[in-house]
Amino acid sequence: MREIKDSIIIDIKDLKKYFKEVKAVNGISLQIKKGELFSILGPNGAGKTTLVRMLTTVLTPTSGDAFIDGYSILTGKKDIVKIIGVCPQDITIYEVLRAEENVEFVASMHDIPRKEAKEETKALLDKFGIAGRRDWSKNFSGGMQRRLNLAMALVFNPKILFLDEPSAGLDPQARRLVWDFIRDLKKEDITIILMTHDMAEADILSDHIAIIDQGKIIAQGTPSELKEKYGSDNVLEISFLEPEDVEIAKKNLENISFVANWKEINKKGKKTLFIPFQGGLKNLVKILQQGIIENIDEVENIKFRQNSLEDVFLNLTGRRLRD
Amino acid sequence: MNLLDNKAIQISIKNLKDKIRHWQYVFFSLLLPIMFTIMFFFMFGNEEDPTGRTDFDYGFPGMIMYAIGMGTMNAAIMFAQDKGSGMLDRLDTMPTGRKNMFLGALISESLFLMLQILIMFFIGYVVLGLYFEGPLELFIGFLIAVVFGISAVGLGIMIASVSKNVEIANAASLLVFMVLIFLSGSMVPFESPIVFFTPPFWAKQLFLQLTVLGDGFGDLLYSGSLIGVSSETIPITLGIGLLIVFGYTIVFIIIGIIVFQKKTKF
Repeated sequence: MREIKDSIIIDIKDLKKYFKEVKAVNGISLQIKKGELFSILGPNGAGKTTLVRMLTTVLTPTSGDAFIDGYSILTGKKDIVKIIGVCPQDITIYEVLRAEENVEFVASMHDIPRKEAKEETKALLDKFGIAGRRDWSKNFSGGMQRRLNLAMALVFNPKILFLDEPSAGLDPQARRLVWDFIRDLKKEDITIILMTHDMAEADILSDHIAIIDQGKIIAQGTPSELKEKYGSDNVLEISFLEPEDVEIAKKNLENISFVANWKEINKKGKKTLFIPFQGGLKNLVKILQQGIIENIDEVENIKFRQNSLEDVFLNLTGRRLRD
Repeated sequence: MNLLDNKAIQISIKNLKDKIRHWQYVFFSLLLPIMFTIMFFFMFGNEEDPTGRTDFDYGFPGMIMYAIGMGTMNAAIMFAQDKGSGMLDRLDTMPTGRKNMFLGALISESLFLMLQILIMFFIGYVVLGLYFEGPLELFIGFLIAVVFGISAVGLGIMIASVSKNVEIANAASLLVFMVLIFLSGSMVPFESPIVFFTPPFWAKQLFLQLTVLGDGFGDLLYSGSLIGVSSETIPITLGIGLLIVFGYTIVFIIIGIIVFQKKTKF
């Protein structure tokens, strides 16, 4: 066991995982504090799941190491698995077992005495709104299965909880419900590592965020720090019907002095300009008045919104997070 | 600690629940060897030799080994399903231990095999009235079948460990199991030294000589399943044959644990 600073519970040191030519995780170093909700935000294929699989000792790194509560992932598997709860991205439940059978089974793997396991299971399923269901888990709705997936990771009160895309595939209502559970968990003394590609999820829930792309961390900080450092106050988003109109708009932008760092995104042949700017509505009016859409017959859509983590990612990579 | 709190036992209880609740699969996997038994009984169960035994009396122990060999497939499929669904990965993030995962699967599949053997005994000896020496011999035969069954389950888990998905595990286990059953001369007589290298041969030959011929552990084993006046023995007693069956089982379990631990580690 390695001594690490009191407040640091996860210390990742130059962690790498290569699958032949693919550098899934390419030298990640991070420190995560005890009790915080730390999000790892990145697009699909950025290396989030590979990272969590290494931190949870399922996958052996190509090089580097990480210390979970002082235990190395290379040598301390036996100790690490006692203190971590893992909620995988895919719903991983025994479909022909009932909800309480699934949760009690996990409790038995953690040596929780049967009576205590039953009580803890009941309390958890009550909290998650799936108590009293006597049918098999395969009959549950997607949202209920996700909640069961999460309950299985919590039954033994882990010190650290890994959540890999906990709201993936859920409708907005079920997603909100999962977020509420996560918010409740934050009140307890538990460190949560959230892997997500959902900017709203990361923005709303996280204390700290690391943005990961192509196996590397490209930025980290609190949500507001990231938006402040890599974004602006507001964003004007214009989608064009004709590709040549974008060129006209770009030319028009050159004449607007207080606008810089705009980005052009091309998705399925449709072009959109993301124009960040400081200040509020007054400056928006100025942009429009100074002729950004001059000589353009029609635009598909104009959106004015506050800067988000999506813009941070766009600024850092030139790509949108969900592309 | 209570035995029921043992993690391997907990895994096996969970597996048995899983199995029983997939009752249609269980039903058909139990039915196949029964169907073969009834079919072969009508084909070979009429002509009696001077001792009053029919060809099928001699053939039935091979059918039992065939039914047990099916356990290879069942174990492979069950295990590959857990692997494919990510459940093994999830278990790997808990203080379960891979040995317990392997042993849990081994225990549940072996218990299921015992049920399969008992059903075969019921069909063969109660329903079809096949010949057996006595209850003690039959009980010893049952134990031999169970020991062989454990090796078949170990082989199945091994195959699932190296298979990428359920389909491959299913096809690979069927191939290995059918080839082994054929080469052992269990289903159809096969007179070749190759039989000595197959676990089903030893289990079937012991079962046959103990329960049908009434031999003891000091008697010599016959070289094949065609037992008649011209049959030759080999210089190995039934007692040594029993040790060989145990040996195969222990080796299969050890290799199974090693392969499982290595092949599920990325």
